[in-house]
Amino acid sequence: MKKTILVCCGPGCIAYGGLDVAASFREQIATLKMDVKLETVIKQTGCHGFCSRGPLVRIMPDDITYYRVKPRDTEEILKSLDNKPVGRLLYHGVGGNILKQQETPFYSAQKKLALRNVGEIDPKNINDYKARGGYEALRKALTMEPEDIIAEIEKSGLRGRGGAGFPTGLKWRIAAEYDNFPKYVIMNGDEGDPGAFMDRALMEGDPHGVLEGVIICALAVGATKGYLYIRDEYALSLQSMKDALADAEKAGFLGDSILGSGRSLHIEVVRGGGAFVCGESTALIESIEGSIGEPRATFAYPTEQGLWNKPTIINNVETFINIPLIIDEGGAKFAETGTPTSKGTKVFSLAGKVRNSGLVEAPMGMTMRKIIFEIGGGIVGNRHFKAVQTGGPSGGALPESLLDLPIDFDTLVRYGSMMGSGGMIVMDDWTCMVAVAKYNIEFLAKESCGACVPCREGLRALSMILTRICEGKGEPVDLEIIKSICELLTQTSRCGLGKTAANPVMSTLKYFPEEYEEHIKEKRCRAGVCSMGRSTVVTDSADMAAIVAMAEAARKVSYGVQSKDKTGAES
Amino acid sequence: MNIVIDGKTCEARPGEYLWDTARRNGIDIPALCRHDALPGRGCCRLCIVENENAVGSRSVIVSCVFPVTEGLKIHTRSEKIIRFRRILLKLLIERAPQAEGVLLDYCREYGVAGNGELFNDNTNEKCILCNRCSRACQELGNSAIQVTQRGIDKIVASPFNEPSPDCIGCAACARVCPTGAIACTDTREQRTIWNKTFEMVKCAECGKPFATAEELEWMKPKILDFESNLAYCPRCRGRHVANSAMV
Ligand SMILES: Cc1cc2nc3c(=O)[nH]c(=O)nc-3n(C[C@H](O)[C@H](O)[C@H](O)COP(=O)(O)O)c2cc1C
Ligand code: SF4
Ligand code: FES
Repeated sequence: MKKTILVCCGPGCIAYGGLDVAASFREQIATLKMDVKLETVIKQTGCHGFCSRGPLVRIMPDDITYYRVKPRDTEEILKSLDNKPVGRLLYHGVGGNILKQQETPFYSAQKKLALRNVGEIDPKNINDYKARGGYEALRKALTMEPEDIIAEIEKSGLRGRGGAGFPTGLKWRIAAEYDNFPKYVIMNGDEGDPGAFMDRALMEGDPHGVLEGVIICALAVGATKGYLYIRDEYALSLQSMKDALADAEKAGFLGDSILGSGRSLHIEVVRGGGAFVCGESTALIESIEGSIGEPRATFAYPTEQGLWNKPTIINNVETFINIPLIIDEGGAKFAETGTPTSKGTKVFSLAGKVRNSGLVEAPMGMTMRKIIFEIGGGIVGNRHFKAVQTGGPSGGALPESLLDLPIDFDTLVRYGSMMGSGGMIVMDDWTCMVAVAKYNIEFLAKESCGACVPCREGLRALSMILTRICEGKGEPVDLEIIKSICELLTQTSRCGLGKTAANPVMSTLKYFPEEYEEHIKEKRCRAGVCSMGRSTVVTDSADMAAIVAMAEAARKVSYGVQSKDKTGAES
Repeated sequence: MNIVIDGKTCEARPGEYLWDTARRNGIDIPALCRHDALPGRGCCRLCIVENENAVGSRSVIVSCVFPVTEGLKIHTRSEKIIRFRRILLKLLIERAPQAEGVLLDYCREYGVAGNGELFNDNTNEKCILCNRCSRACQELGNSAIQVTQRGIDKIVASPFNEPSPDCIGCAACARVCPTGAIACTDTREQRTIWNKTFEMVKCAECGKPFATAEELEWMKPKILDFESNLAYCPRCRGRHVANSAMV
């Protein structure tokens, strides 16, 4: 039987030499004159999500996965194809070597719905997608009444994956009811959270899956024009979605009269405005209209007065990719996974001080302990877990005592954090929580659009006070000032950025009050991160900036290698 | 339709913003970024009020951009609102310690003083970034000054801080500024504003300088009988028009 070798060329694997491994395979196959199909899989998941063990090589149909493969290993792998697998390159589990990727602890606890095709198909090939049932949901949707499509989405319990968790079906229903045309559908691919790259993984790994969701949405609400708003630096995502649009149009899934149905939809790709706040839905609309990307001050929702003041649906990339699945298999099936109020799965980008970092898709309701210690393999360097920051910079830091909380939209909010786009940064006991709060506030102050006073001046004040505390110049009254500014921010800011910006401060104050006390009263930083006004710092870089820089590196890797990506087309 | 503000039943017009309803009913809500001639922008948040729903729970809303609906129950001076307004004023006066005008009046009314304890960056700032000036300029169709940069670096400036070719020296921006932040120096002969100096035109009747030449040029296409009208300052113009109507 003909074998296929999949070499992962996602950002993580490329960083570890994935391209060299692919090249070496190609050479060896030529010298050994073997009848083997070689595929370089360009995915942005960082090696099937498991980037810390890259480069990954997968042999199909045997489904054997090798880790940390070097060019010098390729000959041995090729020669082993019809014999025993190369033991030393396999995953070493507790009970011996593990052949199948799905059986390693990193994967077995995961549930791939959104990422169902990522890494399994060639994203540039529409036929690959179709072979896995792609665009069947669209065919089905064309036979359904818009009302029934929406009912199915409502039944699924799907909530928006872009941050706030608004029920998707309800959003569509509201927009569908307005008798005001034309209507618009917008895909939010701005992905501004530092270190998050799940949307990118989807746009680059399964562009047609995302697109099919967008088309079905347009059919349901009666939109005839769509925009894919994609973060400016994501050159590969931009290209991938543009190619998908062209191929889908050629195949009749888009354009005038979709599959001869008489229903039309035209979609354009728009480059993002390049600021974190441009991901906010009304700022994004302003940005598409050509104005500066500032959130709108009005109280009207985009579902009523969105783009050009017409009814508009904005959904996140990950929200959209769940749609074909729901139409295919039914809303009830989708709702079997998850918690009573949050259905399905969520893709997290696990980063920081965990052994296995990467993209992880877990059913809603999984505990943070399971994600961090089972899938993530625990804390690096035998240190102790201290906190996990969920929801990006405007989320909160949760302590060890809350590790057994089931993760869903409402639970996280109840404990002072949020789901956000699914960032999850793990911190060990060498981390200073005051410095973490300061880092996040500085990020938000820099990214605030600056239109409204509580956010612009409030964040500036918070950042100054926190800096003072970290320099050993804090006073007890500072904590009172911090709290009142936080309350102001939450209740009077114009948009979600300001409204959630207090989370990183309030959560650290709530769960780690002793660290603030020590900084202020004893002029001491237990983690040794803050200078406290002294000239020397005692520890390694356990601070947030370094952790986030690491996570950012993962998503930036492929920016540098775009020119080399052509290898991905080869097979 | 009717709404209740601070216990008083008020008549409200559909399509109206809450702030305007309150004012028409004799209830003043403080405002810095709102201006009658300019669409509200919801920047300063000073006009916040509390909205009480049917079950008695309250949320903070921004009255200058909040469209009224039947049956609202509003509190404009609750303990929380006063507390929030004081923090907002504190943030503003600390940001712009040299501010004059309305901001100072509000600070006095709410018992807020700036003493440089919040931001330890000594500044001569007067601007609170309410956007009134840039909106006024935009409304007039010139857009010579804009709010540029993002977040805490935001400033109002002419493009690249150079004298703007679009500026006609009308000083509308300086007039709408609530803190006296826009430097505009007038002499009998010249006006200097936004790094640009203009020659002043004197009234044909009273001889007072009343506009820049560029401003009059800009007004020309908008006024029918400009030759006779634009020679006079607004005061004399009125008299002149009245006189010519009599003969
Ligand atoms: C400051 C800010 C940044 C945001 N950035 C993003 C983003 O990058 N991507 C995204 O999908 N949603 C982002 N959102 C959420 C959007 O406003 C919006 O809620 C979302 O796109 C709706 O889609 P959903 O219902 O599918 O989640 C952001 C919100 C705020 C307040
Ligand atoms: S809350 Fe912040 S980001 Fe949002 S409008 Fe106000 S200043 Fe801009
Ligand atoms: S007057 Fe309403 S926000 Fe400024």
